[in-house]
Amino acid sequence: MGQLAFGIGLLVAIVVLAITHRLWAPAMGHGGASTWRIAKITVAEARRRRVVQAVVVLVLLILLSMTVFSYLNPREQARMIISGGLSAITVFGILLAIFVAAFLIPQELETRTVYAVLSKPVRRFEFVLGKYLGALIILAAIMTIMTVVLVAVLLVMDHFVPDLTYSTFEPNLANVVFAAVMSYFAVAVLSAYIVLISTVSSTAMTVIASFIIWAIGSLQSQIHDLAAGAETVSTKWFFTMFYWLVPPLENFDFRHEVSNFMQVSYKAGIDAAGVGILYIIVVLLVASVFFNDRQV
Amino acid sequence: MVSDEIVLQIEGLSKVYRSLFAPAGTKAVDSLTLGVRRGETYSIVGPNGSGKTTTLKIVLGLIFPTSGKVNIFGSDVADLAVRERVGFLPEDAYLYDVFTGEELLDFYAGLFGYSRRRRKELVDELLSLVGMQANRRVPFQECSKGMRQRLALAQALVNDPELLILDEPTSGLDPAGRHQMTELIYELKRRGKTILLCSHFLAEVEEVCDRVGIMYRGRLVAEGTLTELAGDPTEIVITASGMSPEGASRVAAHSAVLGVEGDVVRMGHESSDRLWSVLDAVREAGGRVAEVHRPRPTLQDVFVRAIRQDAPERDAGEEVH
Repeated sequence: MGQLAFGIGLLVAIVVLAITHRLWAPAMGHGGASTWRIAKITVAEARRRRVVQAVVVLVLLILLSMTVFSYLNPREQARMIISGGLSAITVFGILLAIFVAAFLIPQELETRTVYAVLSKPVRRFEFVLGKYLGALIILAAIMTIMTVVLVAVLLVMDHFVPDLTYSTFEPNLANVVFAAVMSYFAVAVLSAYIVLISTVSSTAMTVIASFIIWAIGSLQSQIHDLAAGAETVSTKWFFTMFYWLVPPLENFDFRHEVSNFMQVSYKAGIDAAGVGILYIIVVLLVASVFFNDRQV
Repeated sequence: MVSDEIVLQIEGLSKVYRSLFAPAGTKAVDSLTLGVRRGETYSIVGPNGSGKTTTLKIVLGLIFPTSGKVNIFGSDVADLAVRERVGFLPEDAYLYDVFTGEELLDFYAGLFGYSRRRRKELVDELLSLVGMQANRRVPFQECSKGMRQRLALAQALVNDPELLILDEPTSGLDPAGRHQMTELIYELKRRGKTILLCSHFLAEVEEVCDRVGIMYRGRLVAEGTLTELAGDPTEIVITASGMSPEGASRVAAHSAVLGVEGDVVRMGHESSDRLWSVLDAVREAGGRVAEVHRPRPTLQDVFVRAIRQDAPERDAGEEVH
């Protein structure tokens, strides 16, 4: 609840900052049309470069390779496939997010393709949003393919693995899809942070900072504990600031519950998604303010 | 047809690049003031690092000035509506290289909100204009330098701009490519476009421009039409073959003659009333007169003179062609 209130407060502050920074003024360009065009060309460019396809093929091979190992019992086999599959989706999703999003804006600046775009009636806010939207579409497509393959593997295995009296193969499909969707939210939040960093730094610095944010975001509860147990005010303040600034990535991680056939709280997922969307809006607004002032 | 209406007004523009290591900064543009009239082709010339590209980037709102202001069509450059009426050809044709010419033009036309049908018409028209119809499906990265430059010009024209800003349009092109690009600029000039051209290829500037501004170390050191900048001819040059060495010495001794070098006799323009006397002296020296002409200084001469006046301690002509 506190996190939500903080997010709303921060959102209001950033909206005020954006307005005073003339993020929407002067006059509207071609609004959503420009953003959508930029998103589409970002997706098309990623498809043509074929690097993403190579990574997808690699992940699919990993997912399919899980079917060839035999385990003690069907339930354990399902657990291993779900755990391994979701981990592959999450980790490769995050890695792809870092390598897709980190290059979006710096590459435009380094290759100077941004000149021909920003000399058109395109607001910088639209440009940032278009690039981010493009990254989201790319990552959604990839993670959907990976999830579909994982689901297919589970269905096929469910068909072929004989159940035992004391153990059955449980594909746990609904929860697997839920966990994959939540991984996508984590990727979306992290991508927004990566876009923010990339508006003020080089590609290399963005990649390094993205890994750090991923690591810290995945350990957010530990940071909260550190803040709670801090002995000095300055240390408490430092860890608390860190806690609020880094994205709550671990809130999106349902791999443990799903792979161990535990009760999954969809409400926790919906709450995390809500907070994640707030983080994305705030972070993209800050990114737009930074990029608005950037000399390209 | 050039009118008196100023479509681009730059007033007291300065740009200082500061960094942690140079807090005082480097002045890229220094108190620049100039105006471009509707229908004219205005060229900013200057050696590399003189502030030309920085000026263009400020005009396009890509970077921000330290002081001064830029108005296009009477509006501040930050006004997006201005960009509906401006086209920009960046130096070295920076476009997305995995796409074909028609895909690129469709994308850039889409940024102006044109419908699919209008975009298709535009793509066809522009590819025809720049002579790229046959290569419309060649990926940009596989295009020659000349083809890339023509496609980049086409993307600058997708909105049929009133003001066209061209940054080094012939940079890196071979003579044929340079000729094609110059012809295209001529065609756009004929269509009434106002053109702001930035270049250090003085020959092309001389060919297409109505007015020239010479920039050096961020400042505008000279501005005007070529005739205004070049001034009146200062010499009369007589080319004559067959003069004996002794005869040439006698011609050189003539009071109106400035000097004799081989077959070339130079005399001061102010002594033009004594031209017949000098020609007689040349004939008496055994020379056969092939040509008499009054050379006007080229833009190269004007450029070097302007820069030397501004910074006599440096040889400024080395970075222009």
